Amino acid sequence: MSNNKNIATPDGRQDVLIIGAGPAGVAAGIGAKKEGAENVVVLERDWDLGGILQQCIHPGFGLRTFREELTGPEYMHRFIKEAHEVGVEFRTNTMVFQIDKENNTVWTMNKERGIKCLNPKSIVLTMGCRERPLGAIRIPGTRPSGIYTAGTAQRFVNMEGYMPGKRAVILGSGDIGLIMARRMIWEGAEVEGVYEVMSWPGGLRRNIAQCLDDYGIPFHLKTTVTKIHGADRLEGVTVAEVDDKMTPIKGTERFIECDTLLLAIGLIPENELSRMAGIEIHPVTGGPVVNDLLQTSNPAVFAAGNVVIVYDLVDNVSDEGLIAGANAAKFAAGKISTDIKKIPVKGGQNVRLFSPQLITGEKDTIIYMRVTHPIEGACKVTAEPGLYTQRLRYARPGEMNEARIKASAVKANPNLKEIIVDVQPI
Amino acid sequence: MNYDVIIIGSGVTGAGIARELSKYKLKIAVLDKASELPSGASRANSSMIHGGFDDKPGTVKAKFCVPGNKLWHKLKDELDVHLNECGSYVCAFNDKETKHLEELLEQGKANGAPGLEIISGVKLREKEPNVSSEIVAALWSPEAAIINNFEAVNALIESAKINGAELFLETSATGLLFDEKNNIRGVATNKGDFIAPVVINAGGVHAQEIAEWAGDTSFKIIPTKGEYFLLDRTTQGFIHSFLFSCPSKAGKGVTVLQTAEGNLMSGPTATEQEDPEDRSTTPEGLAEVLKGARRLVPDFPIRLNITTFAGVRANTESGDFEIGALKNPRGFVNVAGIKSPGFTSSPAIAEYVAELLKEELADRIKLIPNEKFIPERKNIPRFLYLDMEKRKELAKNDPAYAQIVCRCETVTEGQVLEAIRRGARTISAVKMMTRAGTGRCQGGFCCPRVAEILSRELNIPLDEITRHGGNSKLLVGKTKEFLLEKGAE
Repeated sequence: MSNNKNIATPDGRQDVLIIGAGPAGVAAGIGAKKEGAENVVVLERDWDLGGILQQCIHPGFGLRTFREELTGPEYMHRFIKEAHEVGVEFRTNTMVFQIDKENNTVWTMNKERGIKCLNPKSIVLTMGCRERPLGAIRIPGTRPSGIYTAGTAQRFVNMEGYMPGKRAVILGSGDIGLIMARRMIWEGAEVEGVYEVMSWPGGLRRNIAQCLDDYGIPFHLKTTVTKIHGADRLEGVTVAEVDDKMTPIKGTERFIECDTLLLAIGLIPENELSRMAGIEIHPVTGGPVVNDLLQTSNPAVFAAGNVVIVYDLVDNVSDEGLIAGANAAKFAAGKISTDIKKIPVKGGQNVRLFSPQLITGEKDTIIYMRVTHPIEGACKVTAEPGLYTQRLRYARPGEMNEARIKASAVKANPNLKEIIVDVQPI
Repeated sequence: MNYDVIIIGSGVTGAGIARELSKYKLKIAVLDKASELPSGASRANSSMIHGGFDDKPGTVKAKFCVPGNKLWHKLKDELDVHLNECGSYVCAFNDKETKHLEELLEQGKANGAPGLEIISGVKLREKEPNVSSEIVAALWSPEAAIINNFEAVNALIESAKINGAELFLETSATGLLFDEKNNIRGVATNKGDFIAPVVINAGGVHAQEIAEWAGDTSFKIIPTKGEYFLLDRTTQGFIHSFLFSCPSKAGKGVTVLQTAEGNLMSGPTATEQEDPEDRSTTPEGLAEVLKGARRLVPDFPIRLNITTFAGVRANTESGDFEIGALKNPRGFVNVAGIKSPGFTSSPAIAEYVAELLKEELADRIKLIPNEKFIPERKNIPRFLYLDMEKRKELAKNDPAYAQIVCRCETVTEGQVLEAIRRGARTISAVKMMTRAGTGRCQGGFCCPRVAEILSRELNIPLDEITRHGGNSKLLVGKTKEFLLEKGAE
């Protein structure tokens, strides 16, 4: 992706300032321009656009949006091309390191321009997410080299052209871990197995089939790493099966010799800046609390993509980016009233997390959610009272569910106090 | 290589002595087997500057703890290191423990610890609302403080280097050299012989072995592991100071503290072990720490844990520091068994060692004051803590300060480059000198970036960069070469 224009405009007030040029940010730029915003700027800390998709060189992106299997860079290229066509301005190598909550001042740094502040009329947060590190799960043992999150390893292999190790164990079955299992095999390394503490996979079934099954990589559910061995370089890990309380079962321990441990144990929305900006963060999603306009608790600040809730598919991230960008443009033009009624969404049966958490009914919207426990059989997603019902063949934590809410249905019920989303067997 | 004095070990003890001796016209060599500092017990500990009430009057520990505490309050400015002057509390859960607090108070007074006071549990909770409601009283020690131990050790050795001392990393002492009278002539190492009439043993957990090379079997080091949890910096303010349990026969017990950088931390255990190098955490140890943390702070937010670690302390059989010059061979000084309150005591110990050299080894070494001694040393700028004007100025003068490398701790490329200029060669060295990689993603973001900068600046291939020296390389080769090798098999 070399079609990265970097036009400097005078640091006046941007209509919409977007933080992060991954899939959500680029889409937000397009959404804002299409809504009529004049000055739309996307800031990107990397030297190139695309965010994490730059290093996702495997196919599988854009099935919904383009009905084709694209690689990450190919998928991004289509959006970036459109963003340039509609006049979105990008500033690369520009990092936002602070947002002042008093006045929404955005502080940026760039090697050429130094430290500068911007005072946009509206902001869209599209910083994406990061991987949970080893410390988050407190595995005992030593701390040698050779332990990486799957995404860090992916950067080394795909971007730098270096191998992190020769024989890997993968802990956690998030999608990047599955993708990296296959990548390690392709690059000539061994993958001893993938270990998942839960009794269901973290990632998409599609990836289990295409990345593990097709390459004969063993996949162990209800099993986790219980000890790290090796002083300098990783020498091995102990794995053990776990009981229903996720406690390792004595006698099931097994030592595996390996020089690499890749972690795919979850993603966390990246919200340092959101916290600085004084934005309310949802305790379960880890992202900003948003309404269906993707507006946060700070009316001038919108948020979209994995910074809000971690999605499975980039298509959803782009969709949400378009919405947030368009609404930020409307806000900048004074077209969003600050006193719209907002109906809270509540998670009912078997819903672990969901977004948005507030519904204005100003437009049709999708509530994205994840189930707590898998349901392997006929089930349904509902949004009560009577707003949505959809039958499903199954529901799994690794695969998001949606409830589509019609604005007309919300408007038709002026006494609506709350919306409850459920996923339950039928 | 001829020196006046060789110091084996560059933990807080060795580095502190090096800095103190650099106040004299001496040619000083400091040897450390690690690739970065600090590496031993000075790296993994509670980072506590103790108030001085805990040691029995008359012990060597008691002699150095209070003076050491006073020196740190001064050194923090001279050396530009973070010292959180927050005080500490020893918490009592019942009358028996409250009685013990009174004993500690008296002991502290005898040791010269200022400002000690017993306060009620209610008063404690006014200051620290998150402590257990079952705590009935606490001993307040206003002079206790929490230091950034990574910074402190690097600051001491940098200051020594500014004043002429030489540091040799990855230099492992393998034996002592003796002259024809069987007195000290120097140290044999993996990098060759270092010659000097005086050798100071600041070898930490290895000090017993080093002393035995000199024929000294008067003390025994018992490596004692302490395990810890370190939590995300968003926990800042959950606890503002340092909380001890009431000490028992088993030791000072598990503590809860806010580090000098604002992370919540808890530990340590005290498990004796054979292996001085085993720094692995254990399920039992971590469970014990968590239990202890929750006793003091019931809502200890363990879900915000970002890493666990263990340090190995050089306990002694006597329970006290082992400091002194041997009569035979002449020229050998032990500064051994420096465990808690070792970090606190280290500057006072360093002053004492200088006096010891003057008094007992004057025939071998002359301590002539170095009138060119520069006490000040400036830290690498800490972007995170600077005001915006200062940040702008830095970035204007050096664009590398307008490039973030570690986003969790807001560390700029300028800081990383400065750490490399000051001798950092590994990912961990950069981490300890700049804090890049100490945050919530634990290097997931910055590790590849720091590796690239090290590779570029030191002109070594990326796959030669190590995490912490030795065999801890990050990568095993280039992808294509790796496949070709594989094909050739």
